[in-house]
Amino acid sequence: MKEEEYVSLPFFGIPKLLPYIKKYIPGIILMVSLGMTASIFDALSPLFNRYALDHFVADNTLDGLGVFIALYVGLLVVYMLDNFATTYLCGKTEMSVNRDLRNAAFSHLQELSFSYYNRNNVGYIHARVMSDTEKIGVLVAWRLMDMIWNGSYVVFVIVEMFVLDARLALYVCALVPVVALLVAYFQKKLIKENRYIRELNSAITGDLNEGITGARSVKALLAEERMKSILGRHTKEMEKRSVKAARHSSFFTAAVSMMSTFALAIVLFRGGILSQDGVMKLGTLSVFLTCALGMLEPVQFMVVTFSEIIAVQVNIERLTKLLETEADVSDTKEVIEKYGDSFAPKRENWEELQGEVEFQDVSFHYPDGDEYVLEHFNLKVEKGMNVAIVGETGAGKSTLVNLVCRFFEPTSGRVLIDGRDARERSQIWLHSNIGYMLQTPHLFSGSIRDNLRYGKADATDEEILEALKLVSADGIVKRAEKGLDTEAGEGGDSLSTGEKQLLSFARALLADPKILVLDEATASIDTVTEKAIQKAIATVTKNRTSFVIAHRLSTITVADLIHMVHDGKITERGTHRELMEKRGAYYRLFSRQYEELAYEE
Amino acid sequence: MKKKEFSRFGMSLYFIRGSKALFFGGMLAAVLAALLDMVEPKIVQYTVDLVLGDQKVDAAGKVFIRIFDGMEALRHDLFYVALMVAIVGLLAAVFRYLARILNARAAQKLIRRMREHLFAHIMKLPVSWHEQNHTGDIIQRCTSDVETVKNFMSDQMTNMFRIALLIVMAMYFMAGIDLKLALISGIFIPVVVLYSVFFHFKIAGAFKHADEEEGRLSAMAQENLTGVRVVRAFGRELYEKERFESRNADYTKLWVKLMAWLSAFWCSNDLITGLQMLLVTVLGAVACVKGTLSPGGYIAFVSYNGMLIWPVRELGRVISDMSKAGVSLDRICMIMNSEPEEERAEQSSSLSSRAERKVSPPSITFSHVSFAYGDGPEVLKDVSFTVPAGSTLGILGGTGSGKSTLVSLLDRLYEPTKGSISLGGKDIKDMDRLELRSRIGLVLQEPYLFSGTLKENLCMAAPEVSDEEIRAALHTAALEETVDRFTEGLETPVGERGVTLSGGQKQRTAIAQVLLSGREIMIFDDSLSAVDMETDALIRQRLKSGTGESTVILISHRISTLMKADNIIVMDRGRIREQGSHEELLSAGGMYKRIYDIQTEGAL
Repeated sequence: MKEEEYVSLPFFGIPKLLPYIKKYIPGIILMVSLGMTASIFDALSPLFNRYALDHFVADNTLDGLGVFIALYVGLLVVYMLDNFATTYLCGKTEMSVNRDLRNAAFSHLQELSFSYYNRNNVGYIHARVMSDTEKIGVLVAWRLMDMIWNGSYVVFVIVEMFVLDARLALYVCALVPVVALLVAYFQKKLIKENRYIRELNSAITGDLNEGITGARSVKALLAEERMKSILGRHTKEMEKRSVKAARHSSFFTAAVSMMSTFALAIVLFRGGILSQDGVMKLGTLSVFLTCALGMLEPVQFMVVTFSEIIAVQVNIERLTKLLETEADVSDTKEVIEKYGDSFAPKRENWEELQGEVEFQDVSFHYPDGDEYVLEHFNLKVEKGMNVAIVGETGAGKSTLVNLVCRFFEPTSGRVLIDGRDARERSQIWLHSNIGYMLQTPHLFSGSIRDNLRYGKADATDEEILEALKLVSADGIVKRAEKGLDTEAGEGGDSLSTGEKQLLSFARALLADPKILVLDEATASIDTVTEKAIQKAIATVTKNRTSFVIAHRLSTITVADLIHMVHDGKITERGTHRELMEKRGAYYRLFSRQYEELAYEE
Repeated sequence: MKKKEFSRFGMSLYFIRGSKALFFGGMLAAVLAALLDMVEPKIVQYTVDLVLGDQKVDAAGKVFIRIFDGMEALRHDLFYVALMVAIVGLLAAVFRYLARILNARAAQKLIRRMREHLFAHIMKLPVSWHEQNHTGDIIQRCTSDVETVKNFMSDQMTNMFRIALLIVMAMYFMAGIDLKLALISGIFIPVVVLYSVFFHFKIAGAFKHADEEEGRLSAMAQENLTGVRVVRAFGRELYEKERFESRNADYTKLWVKLMAWLSAFWCSNDLITGLQMLLVTVLGAVACVKGTLSPGGYIAFVSYNGMLIWPVRELGRVISDMSKAGVSLDRICMIMNSEPEEERAEQSSSLSSRAERKVSPPSITFSHVSFAYGDGPEVLKDVSFTVPAGSTLGILGGTGSGKSTLVSLLDRLYEPTKGSISLGGKDIKDMDRLELRSRIGLVLQEPYLFSGTLKENLCMAAPEVSDEEIRAALHTAALEETVDRFTEGLETPVGERGVTLSGGQKQRTAIAQVLLSGREIMIFDDSLSAVDMETDALIRQRLKSGTGESTVILISHRISTLMKADNIIVMDRGRIREQGSHEELLSAGGMYKRIYDIQTEGAL
């Protein structure tokens, strides 16, 4: 699975993130210094114990107890406030970086071209926006903090021990590299195992998803046992891998705790002799005992954190790659200056779109292929004309309308809108004037009203109902208990495909577009409704340029001009009557469609 | 027939079957490890006291001295003491390792059992159940809720046990050193635990709220990405961006606030434990000065006290986490307690093999069938018709007229609310569901492709077919050329992680799939709607020769698809409006004729 690669970036990828975290750097520096301070408190706290033992206990006196308590409490309060500030800053930095990265990714995605969406599936892109950003937030806040805190704690404990007794400190410190290497070795294995586990986890979720979304098919095909055995295979492997991973992690945590007791043994042995000889005071010995027991776990923690930092490289790489991806279709600087971009349109400078569309010697292939879909294609569509495009699957019909909408740009040649190259005006200008209906209708979650308002944000209920009536979809709303408030839901579950198509048609009409594109938009609508829609199309296309693509030829017989497309070229053009009289490819296609019927006649 | 309902507890017991022994083994090892941990400070105590001079020793101390050949020997052989510490540490490590590994094995066994049983149960649940529940929700129950329950059993339960044990043992040893001091230091335990439990319950709502917000934000991103074409076509990028950013900001604010609370909690906890440590230090020192506590005892006491602090601080969180497990268990119970399609009827024969089934196809009779989804309005009203064996029935009808529901009833994906359906004279209610389905080949309008290769999908219902048969089916479904264009041919991965097939290609794959299963009843539920007319005609022509031995039901909007059927019914709002052959219906001049006219308009 390509999801899990290893990536190593210079300086852990931080330079790539710099533009997004720059403004948080002062906060991060403050957070780090506060964290370091807290770790010093932690490292030095055993000294209180030492004083208690060497002063109160050894000298058998309670002199200075008041000062002792006051100092302790004072430092404790400072420590507490310091800790509060550190954790709060850490959390805040994490969340702010998360938010900024998510926003950056999301708004960048609004500008990327369809070719990007064709290349990457939704799940993949979604993971970039939601989970990569989260992991990076954790990295620049908590992981950084963990490293700093544990690192400085270990350093201070070592310094403390060296100050107290260099030789004994040396013995204890000898264990540090051993622990670090041991943990690093097992952590590496653990990471490998965890990678399998993550893959298996998504495989299992995939199995569940298939079994559940495909329930109807599973039942009809009697594939229950098969589905169960696939899941069973994955869960079995999951169990095996997880236990293996647990073995690695248990081994090194057990080993580290064992090392800690070894450190204790060393201190007891050497320190015992020293204090026996009166060289070392009891308090110092107790400090060593505490330090020896407490310093190896942070070492382990640092190694683990370090490996986690390395693991985040992949996320940084993926996210920055998304952010660096340039849109295939983009407006030039001059255009943006005049017309504005998608996020800041300068509507005051927009010319009114008339609806004349012309293809001039257009050749096109998709960015991810090199087979030309259109070659030296020419077509002129007058304002207000109703154009139908007919042809077999893969002939380039959808490509053609995609070019009209400037979702793609010609590889060579020009598409003119109102006599000017489409590239001379902004995308948002064009899109604001286009009504586009797709083969698979997409409704957003929310009510029917919300969905229709997508076409016109401030549409009143009257306008909405009128649009619905135009496409004979008012019945849907009348039938539904909640009317316009009916949930269009998870992809509009409660609605049939045909109903969804009708709604999306009404939505397109509400936008009052100058150019209307219907790409197989009526495939799942029954004949009677379709007839009603045809009438509606006839009325609403009156002053609009419209492009209609249809398999069902009955939809397009009324078009002003029908284009028969074959292999990226127009092979025939004319009205229905003309083409039928011509007795060419269109005639043949049409006849075949009604072949059997014609024989009956 | 009805399975007993699972309670929370009953279900826990049911799932834990098979991993109980491992859990217990793990706990036992944890007890031993904790005991050994407790020994260490005691050794330190004796060593310190003995090394520093004659101090009173308790009974255990005497044993300790005897082991080392008396006090003098011990003083000179500190090496052996160190060795003993190391050995105890080693043993503790071994038990700690064992405890974790046994626990992990138990946990993994448990989660596997839960997943498999849940999935198996879900596979048995009726289509109506699937429709009432959102996919995402069910998946969440099978993934994160299952995970929560596993964590409860393997982490929280054992943690509770371990922490309780640790507290008891540490308190015991501390009491052995200085009872009064032990009691004083013990007071903080209930304080910290109660404070922590109280806090976590308080904050639980905020956590849930934040989680839900995250879910909404995530769903918003998901929708934007799936609907990207709509967003662009309407030029609503700015709207989308603003919506996302404002939700994102809200979500972030929520978490920052939560972080402030959490930080405050952690720090106040630091304060409490810090003060407790001060109390122990000061009182311990005072006791030493008074001579009631030895320096070694003091060091040991401080060690035990240190051992207590983290577990006690954890306890509150563990307790509050446990309450989440209850909710998750309920959510899983909901699935396990849903009524499955009833089990196979006893008298039914085992599923006959494909060859055996190649007998004459049955007739189909619907008599006075009505149907409503749940409490909704009737979508089928008093529908009666007969399809003679081996004949073809065409069904024409508007959107939402009940055509698809009709065939779903035949496959027993739903049960009619009134009336009966019979196959070859036998009521399908009395037939085994699986056997019934094994006789019916249903091609759905929006077929589902499973991830795997194209071949695996084709052979879904008939694993033992030969490559020739596959080629033949591909030919009939006009899919041959498409497959040949794929570089990997039949081995091309499809489904979510594979090549994306167009709607028409999917439909044709489903046709080939059903053809391969060689079933006696074939139902094509508008299954050529996404195929262009030319290919549609080609497929129908080839199908006609291929399905000769089957009873066929064709559903379509296209008259040309249906006109050759032996009998055609026209559905309208759940009722049969017209019925007859193509000619009969035409001359009747009703709805069928009207649709025919629309579709042939301009043909001349």
